Amino acid sequence: MTRSREIGRAGWGWTAFAGIIALIYFFPVMWIIMTAFKTRPDALAVPPKFFFTPTLDNFVGVFFRAVISGGGAAQATEFPLYFFNSIFIAGVSCLLALIIGTIAAYGFSRYPLKGNETYMFIILTTRMMPAIVVVIPIFLMFREIGLSGTYAGIIFLYTAFNLPFTIWMVRSFFDELNTEIEDAARMDGATERQLFFGICLPQVKAGLAATFVFGLILTWNEFLFALLLTGVDTRTVPVAMARTLGGEMGVDYGLLAAIVTLFLIPIFFVTFLLQNQLLRGVTFGTVRK
Amino acid sequence: MADLIVQDVVKRFGRVTALDGMSFEVREGEFYCLLGPSSAGKTTMLRAISGLEQLDGGRILFGGRDMAAAPIQGRGIAMIFQTFALYPHLTVRANFAYPLERAGVPAQEIRTRVGEVAELLRVGHTLDRLPSTLSGGEQQRVAIGRALVRRPQLLLLDEPLTNLDAKLRHDTRAEFKRLHRELGMTMLYATPDQLEALTMGQRVGVMQAGRVVQVDTPRSLYAAPQDTYVAGMVGSPAINLVPGTIRRRDGGFAVDLPFGTLPADAWRIHLSGGEPVLFGVRPHDVLLGHHPTRGPGFTATVHLTEPLGDVTLLDLDVNGAAMKMALPEERALGLGPGTPIEVTLSAADVHLFHAETGVRIA
Repeated sequence: MTRSREIGRAGWGWTAFAGIIALIYFFPVMWIIMTAFKTRPDALAVPPKFFFTPTLDNFVGVFFRAVISGGGAAQATEFPLYFFNSIFIAGVSCLLALIIGTIAAYGFSRYPLKGNETYMFIILTTRMMPAIVVVIPIFLMFREIGLSGTYAGIIFLYTAFNLPFTIWMVRSFFDELNTEIEDAARMDGATERQLFFGICLPQVKAGLAATFVFGLILTWNEFLFALLLTGVDTRTVPVAMARTLGGEMGVDYGLLAAIVTLFLIPIFFVTFLLQNQLLRGVTFGTVRK
Repeated sequence: MADLIVQDVVKRFGRVTALDGMSFEVREGEFYCLLGPSSAGKTTMLRAISGLEQLDGGRILFGGRDMAAAPIQGRGIAMIFQTFALYPHLTVRANFAYPLERAGVPAQEIRTRVGEVAELLRVGHTLDRLPSTLSGGEQQRVAIGRALVRRPQLLLLDEPLTNLDAKLRHDTRAEFKRLHRELGMTMLYATPDQLEALTMGQRVGVMQAGRVVQVDTPRSLYAAPQDTYVAGMVGSPAINLVPGTIRRRDGGFAVDLPFGTLPADAWRIHLSGGEPVLFGVRPHDVLLGHHPTRGPGFTATVHLTEPLGDVTLLDLDVNGAAMKMALPEERALGLGPGTPIEVTLSAADVHLFHAETGVRIA
């Protein structure tokens, strides 16, 4: 019902046009997902094959390494660990950044310091620095104090990495709130703690969800710090993926595509789950009066 | 005694002085209006009384108690905000219950009182809904209910009708009067709208730049504004002010105006003559036609007509002086631009102010 009316309003031409644009944008993703289901000859075929017999061999290959010479059972790979690492590290550091950042943002918004905006600017400048500039000293520092290769190390780093963005974003949500509501709560007898938890936080819930997801996507995709600061046990998927490139057999595109496809799933799932909050989060302040 | 006494209150924000020696008194059970333009300091005054703002000078006594040290929630004061300030994430029921829960009222009692307030304000059907799903009028009533549920001794209202449409404003004005009559609560109402102040206030304090400049009943404010500022604030359409000169003549005074002379023998004024003055007459006191018993008549030309529905506003040119007059709609029919007419200024209802200070002479 709704769909047919929407098509009706814009006309078939525009709807088809929008569809084609969407297809072009989505093509790389579609290509990688398709490749994940192809055999090696299919994956390398020129011109690319759009119709083929799908296979799950690549996905099996992500988790089990076939022993090439001689018989023997297939050997489990480390990928389950890497997926756990990616989820654990990104999840915990984004959650930490959200908690610390929200408290900081509330402070910046409601209890401004002398030179408040200067502090905010300084916080922002920490993100202007290209990661490559700081990665060497951080690598050396981490190695010196033993954080290199540990969960704590990379989680702390990602928390710090996410904080400026979180503080800026959440502060803008707090700034948007109608302060008369807090005044009303004060007159109704709310303590400062009740104001924060009972009045302000519930109002920015959607914004917090949006901030969390954006941070999660950034962290999930991060490669440079992860490459240098994670060890064998704490390696994340992007780093592990890079290591499958090369080797004596050349690039196994099918395997790589299968990893990428699996790598897409969690972030897709979270975004899908929080899509309503996300939408409300990014349109915050533009729709409300 | 729950009198509210505000004495010489000063409040500054940085270099801006919002309240500059503000003094007024509200009697117990009174409906008192603070009338002033948007930057006069009305909201700051209410916030200072509520405890949301600290004073930079002066003091506020409520029921004989100095409010300076009193905590915000212990003052027995509730406030209705311009934006209603409902808790958007809580249902109407939870909004009502919030102040009671904070005060530690038992759950059973909360249920009873929420029910009472919902009935008083006729919002019983909305109790389980979120504020954003209510109409403007319902939101307003919920805001009133949340303020009343604590049974405050003093209710502060900060331009509560600003966010409502015209029809609702009218209904809500009546609602406020009804609540005041039924609950007998002291109410302090801030508004920039003279209509609201005059229709609801038992007394009105007119504010100018952080002070109260005149306090009186609506009728007296209208009849005897103490200066041109108050005369301009009170009454709609705004009063006509025409520059003139006082002249002494046999046994009394007269005012020379651009369009003629107005005898002022009846006025008890202490002037030597020759002073420049501002002559004020409200558009409703400019009468159509010749009425020798009411006052002097002048000829005028209609310049522009503004039909307002029941009343038509005429822009007149009286021998070069611009003046507005208000006529019942049916009497203004046929008075198009350019029509010459005869007008009479109702002598009993004219005002005279000093040209420089604006202070009332008579």
